Amino acid sequence: MAGERAVGLVRELQRAAGGHLPPFRAEELRQALEEMRALYERNQADVSEAKAGRTDLIFLIRFRHCCLLRNQRCIVAYLYDRLLRIRALRWEYGSILPNAIQFHMSAEEVEWFNRYKKSLATYMRSVGGEEGLDLTQDIKPPKSLYIEVRCLKDYGEFEIEDGTTVLLKKNSQHFLPRWKCEQLIRQGVLEHILS
Amino acid sequence: VRFDTYVVNTILLLFLQRVLLLVASDVDALCACKILQALFQCDHVQYTLVPVSGWQELETAFLEHKDQFKYFVLINCGANVDLLEILQPEEDTFFFVCDSHRPINVVNVYNETQIKLLVKPDDDLDVPAYDDIFRDEEEEEEESEAESDGSEPSDKRRRFEEEVIERTMKRRQRREWEARRCSAMVMFDLAWMMSKDLNDMLWWAIVGLTDQWVQDKITQMKYVTDIGILQRHVSRHNHRNEDEENSLSIDCMRIAFEYDLRLALYQHWSLYESLCNTSYTSANLKLWSVQGQKRLQEFLADMGLPLKQVKQKFNSMDISLKENLKEMIEESASKFGMKDLRVQTFSIHFGFKNKFLASDIVYATASLMESIEKEGPETTNFIKALDSLSRGNLDKLHQGLDLAKKQLRAIQQTVASCICTNLVISQGPFLYCSLMEGTPDVRLFSKPVSLCLLSKYLLKSFVCSTKNKRCKLLPLIMAAPMDVEQGTVIMVGIPPETESSDKKNFFGRAFEKAAESTNSRTLHNHFDMSIIELKTEDRSKFLDALISLLS
Repeated sequence: MAGERAVGLVRELQRAAGGHLPPFRAEELRQALEEMRALYERNQADVSEAKAGRTDLIFLIRFRHCCLLRNQRCIVAYLYDRLLRIRALRWEYGSILPNAIQFHMSAEEVEWFNRYKKSLATYMRSVGGEEGLDLTQDIKPPKSLYIEVRCLKDYGEFEIEDGTTVLLKKNSQHFLPRWKCEQLIRQGVLEHILS
Repeated sequence: VRFDTYVVNTILLLFLQRVLLLVASDVDALCACKILQALFQCDHVQYTLVPVSGWQELETAFLEHKDQFKYFVLINCGANVDLLEILQPEEDTFFFVCDSHRPINVVNVYNETQIKLLVKPDDDLDVPAYDDIFRDEEEEEEESEAESDGSEPSDKRRRFEEEVIERTMKRRQRREWEARRCSAMVMFDLAWMMSKDLNDMLWWAIVGLTDQWVQDKITQMKYVTDIGILQRHVSRHNHRNEDEENSLSIDCMRIAFEYDLRLALYQHWSLYESLCNTSYTSANLKLWSVQGQKRLQEFLADMGLPLKQVKQKFNSMDISLKENLKEMIEESASKFGMKDLRVQTFSIHFGFKNKFLASDIVYATASLMESIEKEGPETTNFIKALDSLSRGNLDKLHQGLDLAKKQLRAIQQTVASCICTNLVISQGPFLYCSLMEGTPDVRLFSKPVSLCLLSKYLLKSFVCSTKNKRCKLLPLIMAAPMDVEQGTVIMVGIPPETESSDKKNFFGRAFEKAAESTNSRTLHNHFDMSIIELKTEDRSKFLDALISLLS
């Protein structure tokens, strides 16, 4: 009944823990908005009648208004929380998101993500001198410039910025600059070894 | 230019590059690898580490990586073959070879540019002078039987060189061999020369040396000499603990010199188990026989050690009994013909609970490396063993100790059954023993180091058991099933067990020749040439060829 669908959206987000982004529920959203529209129209009608003398309708009008506010709150919370998760994805994955995640985003969210990326890039370019400063690297202060990593699965050739390639085979170990490895460590291809 | 400076300058070239480390699968190699890794990490040298267990893996790894690296470091592999011939590298590729296998291939020694051998100058290499081998072409034209078919002079020269190298190799095999410094100690020396040596590295060097001793690859004299060298380093790094006032916290790692019992794993086992499963005591007391068991009881009674105590976990033994244990056992042992029950070695301490002798670590690491529990590709065992050498991975170390106990028990039981069922037979120039498929624990002995250990222990025990004076001086060839489906056996040859043995092993060459002459299908994949694999069907003709070759 009133507000069920909107609350359903919020519940789904609550269940998706750890920053995971579930698919965008366009259909449920449309239904919730439809419900709001219906409530609003009925209230419109009843307000004119109440003005004409039927004061017993006032409570019903107030009830419907509360439902509307509740729906609004749920839907806004849903949309906003998704945006926060998408923002976190930029810091987690970098500027190119994996396809699987992109499928879960609506067109508007993709647009928002692109604008956020641009905003962040502009800011990062403006600090740290000429080349700018990549703030998404080294989120925790690193203990050393170079780290020892072990390859957990066959990955193939991995190209580093300066053109050199490293062959990542299962159980091979490498000693590489930290920033080159972070991506692969997050993806689970490499494992950081502490001696 | 002083030798040390020369070495460091050459090696420093290495430290400016990205390097590929190819490491063989033995404990000494692992220790040398750990030391080198620590040095590289100190100087931020980017490297990639690839474990290799044989020549095929070495070649594969080289081919896979040759486009990405120009500098290669080979640990415990590569010295005893013509490396450039096998790998066919580009001109701008460099190999640094730190290998304790001997003899070193002469071509490697005289290569001025691409191959750098890491050996100590006092390692008496006894390499023939350059002029002896690469003689002037003109001189030889008259002597050699060169064909006059207009073949290129360089071809003639190369053929001639090959002949001379052949001859020289044969001559060298009959001459005195070079002492082989273990790779871990060579790496430690490097660290010391660079003033970057740490106590951790010293411990790995100790473990590397102890590995050579456990595997019976060096003479007692060499072992004692090297212990002396290491002892100086140990004092230098660990003297603070001798001073009561300024000693370090109990949690800090320290190394101590020990003149301890050579009973395998005894502090992590029970004294009884250790006595039964150490080859020295088992062979001397002849524990495979009933009289042997009685002698063991007498031995324990002589020391006043109750059986109940001795069968308990060592740590749970009565403190009063443990007090003068070493001296007591040594005294009683010499009455029973065991004069060398104590051996010079080192132990490591960190925290209250953690104390290990160097030999404990060797047994544990070797067992992890050759564990038959299938868990992914072979390299997984290598990685586990490498990890266990770090103090943070005590769980892996304890796992290794458990596996080692199983392995030692299996070895002793196999030795006992071989002796009791007269499985060791004399073939003339050598002794021969073959394990049948279906023997308990035979899977353990499909691995090279385990099989070698078994062979050594078997030979020691056999020498104590036989009355035949001639047989006591013979070397041993041991065979065990390797892969039943493929129908292959693994075969190792070990030198004779004599007091004055120089531990030199000539079976590599013998195996090659026998295989050639009989067209046997053999695989000489191991870096140690005295270990081969061959098809079960070819075994008899192969052995016959060996017998005639060595008679």
